[in-house]
Amino acid sequence: MSRRDRGDRGDRGGRAAECVPQLFLVAWAAVVVAPMGWVVLGSLKSNAELGASAWSWPARPRWENYARAWERAGIGDYFLNSVIVIGPSLALTILLGSMAAYVLARYEFPGNRVLYYVFLAGAMMPPYLALVPLFFVVRSLRLLNTYQGLGLVYVAYSLPFTVFFLHSFFRALPRSVGEAAMVDGASHTRVFFAVMLPMARPGLVSIGILNLIGQWNQYLLPVVLMRPQGPGDPQRLVLTQGLADLAVSQGYASDWPALFAGMTIAMVPVLAVYLAFQRYVHSGLATGVGSSL
Amino acid sequence: MATPPTGTGITRRAVLSRTAALAGAGLGWPATTGCATAGQQRRAEERGEITEENPFGVSSTTPLDVVIFKGGFGDDYAKAHEAMYTERYPRAGIGHQGIQKINEVLQPRFNAGNPPDVVDNSGAGMIPLDILLADHQLTELTPLLDAPSLDDPNVAVRDTLREGTIESGSYDGVMYVLNYSFMVFGLWYSRTLFARHGWEYPQTWDEFLDLGEAIRAEGISPLAHQGKYPGYVVIPIMDLAAVNGGLDTQLRIENLEPNAWRDPAVLAAVDGFHQLVTRGFCLPGTEGMTHTEAQTAWCQGKAAFLPCGSWLENEQWDQTPDGFDMAVGAIPPMAGASLPFGAIRAGAGEAFVIPANARNRAGGLEYLRVMLSRAGGGRFTELTRSLSVVRDAFPDSPSPGLASAMDLYEYARDHAVLLTWRSPEWYSPLSSELDNATGELMANRLTPAEWVDRVQRAADQVADDPSIEKHVRT
Amino acid sequence: MAGGRAGWFVGGFLAAPSALYGIFVVSPYVQTMVYSLTDWRGVSARISFVGLRNYRSLAGDDTFWLALRHNLTLLLVLPTATIGLALGLSSLLSAGRQRGGGVRGARWSAGYQVIFFLPQVLSVAILVVLWQAVFRTDRGGLLNGLLIWLGAIEPDQPLLFLSSRSAVLWCVAAVALWSSVGFYVLLFCAAMQSIPREYYEAAMLDGAGRLAVFRAITVPLLWNQIQVAWVFLAIQALDCFALVYAMTPSSGGPDHQSEVVATHLYRTGFVLGRTGYACAIGVTLFLLTLALAALSLRLSRRERVEP
Repeated sequence: MSRRDRGDRGDRGGRAAECVPQLFLVAWAAVVVAPMGWVVLGSLKSNAELGASAWSWPARPRWENYARAWERAGIGDYFLNSVIVIGPSLALTILLGSMAAYVLARYEFPGNRVLYYVFLAGAMMPPYLALVPLFFVVRSLRLLNTYQGLGLVYVAYSLPFTVFFLHSFFRALPRSVGEAAMVDGASHTRVFFAVMLPMARPGLVSIGILNLIGQWNQYLLPVVLMRPQGPGDPQRLVLTQGLADLAVSQGYASDWPALFAGMTIAMVPVLAVYLAFQRYVHSGLATGVGSSL
Repeated sequence: MATPPTGTGITRRAVLSRTAALAGAGLGWPATTGCATAGQQRRAEERGEITEENPFGVSSTTPLDVVIFKGGFGDDYAKAHEAMYTERYPRAGIGHQGIQKINEVLQPRFNAGNPPDVVDNSGAGMIPLDILLADHQLTELTPLLDAPSLDDPNVAVRDTLREGTIESGSYDGVMYVLNYSFMVFGLWYSRTLFARHGWEYPQTWDEFLDLGEAIRAEGISPLAHQGKYPGYVVIPIMDLAAVNGGLDTQLRIENLEPNAWRDPAVLAAVDGFHQLVTRGFCLPGTEGMTHTEAQTAWCQGKAAFLPCGSWLENEQWDQTPDGFDMAVGAIPPMAGASLPFGAIRAGAGEAFVIPANARNRAGGLEYLRVMLSRAGGGRFTELTRSLSVVRDAFPDSPSPGLASAMDLYEYARDHAVLLTWRSPEWYSPLSSELDNATGELMANRLTPAEWVDRVQRAADQVADDPSIEKHVRT
Repeated sequence: MAGGRAGWFVGGFLAAPSALYGIFVVSPYVQTMVYSLTDWRGVSARISFVGLRNYRSLAGDDTFWLALRHNLTLLLVLPTATIGLALGLSSLLSAGRQRGGGVRGARWSAGYQVIFFLPQVLSVAILVVLWQAVFRTDRGGLLNGLLIWLGAIEPDQPLLFLSSRSAVLWCVAAVALWSSVGFYVLLFCAAMQSIPREYYEAAMLDGAGRLAVFRAITVPLLWNQIQVAWVFLAIQALDCFALVYAMTPSSGGPDHQSEVVATHLYRTGFVLGRTGYACAIGVTLFLLTLALAALSLRLSRRERVEP
């Protein structure tokens, strides 16, 4: 490939013109990677080395930092809790979101516009505005510190944007498709699941990814809703909470290498999953978000 | 007990249904949330029989829910106390949480009327005590004081405590807070470092400044402080103000008298600390450091002095080099000061409370009684290298920092003055403005006169706000 | 489409989503409005109506106005900077190579897109630890260490970053930018792929420079995506809770210089216990957001008619 490039009728100007963009791109890539790489490096230093200079190399890699971080933090549990909450909530978000969006986009009935705007308003409101009453609602349903409670709240707060996003998607699908199936005697429900959903797949994938990122990184809701409420109520911290707690407690212990090791442990699997699926993520986002408008 | 537990239950129920009606009216739909909240109302507290052995009537089967601030002291000491409680009530079972952000975790549970039975409400994320008090969220501790102590049934708990413990936890004469750790505040230094350079701990502010210049000449910063949390520097500034101006000045400030902060003694103290900044005495970057960053830099010998309380030694234990020989000294008075050298702030801290709506308040009181036994205090000192408020619990061989703190305290008690400040903890708006203004002062973005203006304004606002309950110190 | 069957179907499909949404989203918002008219304090269950008193004291609350100003600053800066940088990077990626009149994507374009997207998948708790370490105020910090090593600053005068009055808000904005720009690069790159290459080539033949091409072709053809990006980023700019709360001194400091409405609301409601008042802050922001949304909707409509 590179040989063929060189074989191109490459004049000097073209070469320079290629270098300049590469320079910018490399620079931003460095800005992105440097802090992450630096934390990984810091996780192998001793405390004194960390405090001394940012740019020193560790005298010897201190893997024991990882043992300390793992032992103290229970990062494995946090991961598991996050997965237990988000797995079902993500599926439910997409299912309920597409159902509502489909009906609102393709059926006319009194109140359609009102309902749509009520959903739309929710997409613009940050959840912290309703935090206090939300706590009481969840409490009265006896769902505090439960997986299903936090999951349902995630679904509810993801719905507005999901509906908004998929609404335009379903609108854009050609009307004739559904009508043809109806003529063949398929029920409304069957048309939705057998015809419409498969056609909306790129949209579903990208809204799924957006929601995955959003729910995975949610901080405020679990802080308020996912804490033990009494003796015998187990700890079910999700990853963001657990890491924030780790940051504070390692801060009190002045043990930054272990904190950095903890962050690395939390960072690596997510990055690995992303790298493994990035092709899928990119194409989904590209076609989905691109054509949703 | 101040209020019978069933009584509180009934009032709360009434109040909650009112809330429910309110919410329902606003929504225009049946008040499902509110009703469910009221319906979920807990049962009346379970009580055991009151005997001499069991003065609070602890039910031996009701679990005890303990939440501990896991900061500089860790929470191993609490686990030791819990084990001692379990020994007395093996069938009770204990829920233990060691956390940092008390406020973040417990505020919702207070809101919901479902707080733990014992809370160590401390640290940067504590729930301000004035707010808990204003809302009548705390259990009165008088029954604890009057109960027989565990070590000797003929001696009441109140007679086993170090001086100042009851006062520090009392509001208008009633004790609501057990401050468990006995702390000494001052300027910390390494005896080894000082001996190596032939430095002497300064006895006057001028000596302090001279020594600072000498320290700087050696390439060491004279002062590190925990700049990200300015509260650490507020303490020595206020103490220096009290040393300068005397106890009358302090009393006027505490009682929010008009222009109390404008006393020249205050300005002199603020100016003194500001000069440490302008003379370049502060560790570079210290104004942006967290407590652990600054303290660790100090342990590494990058700075000579550090303001802190006596939990410092334990907090920094793993980071302190061998032979560091940690010690603490009193704030050096300025020329013409009203109080002698040696006056320090000392008193009880680490606020243990029993929420008024706790399910097992009797168990909570009993837990505090266990903490206040000689064995309880001994375990605390052993595990945290700090004194507790239990008068007779002394360590056999104190660590260097603790030994130094004990010497300093005894000297101040016998030859100088023990200082305490209450108003910042009484009035959280004042405390937060003190923090903000001091942060700005130590970053050299505020002049001492502006500092005084800002703090005086905050004090006036508190004084003029009828919704804030006032306290008087005499 | 009407008829009994469709009616049942519509109702059935809407029931579950609407119920969830109503219970967990709408009802708390409505309750917030009710509570904003009361003097409810967080920890207590005592409560009574005070009419509009909370709103009146809000008018005199300097911290609130400061916080609001910070949010509005972020609202101007964050979308502009993020979209600008993302557009720049993505046009370098998709039209990085121009030679002999031909235009092609930059080498390793896909690889760059993957790298740029990385911060997006990091949890906000990780972001905070990462950047607090980067912004550390002595030579142990990544930036100060670098600047000292380069000799750009004196070792005894490190930069304060998050503890600096003037810099703290920009530091927060920089972190937000850093973490989200990759997402928009992805979005714009995908859209640029659908722009016919001939457009660019024709413009180059006419002697148009890179910048002119960018202005005349890229931006207009990507206008839809830019609008979506603006909406996403505006929502983010009005929130910013987690970053400010966890990263800045005293969660909004120093001295309120990074305070945003979210942290102010959290502090008054959850720390100082003035829950009723906090609800009034929430409602005010709610109304402001609605007004802003209506305004931008109107503006974008006008634009759509014009071309």
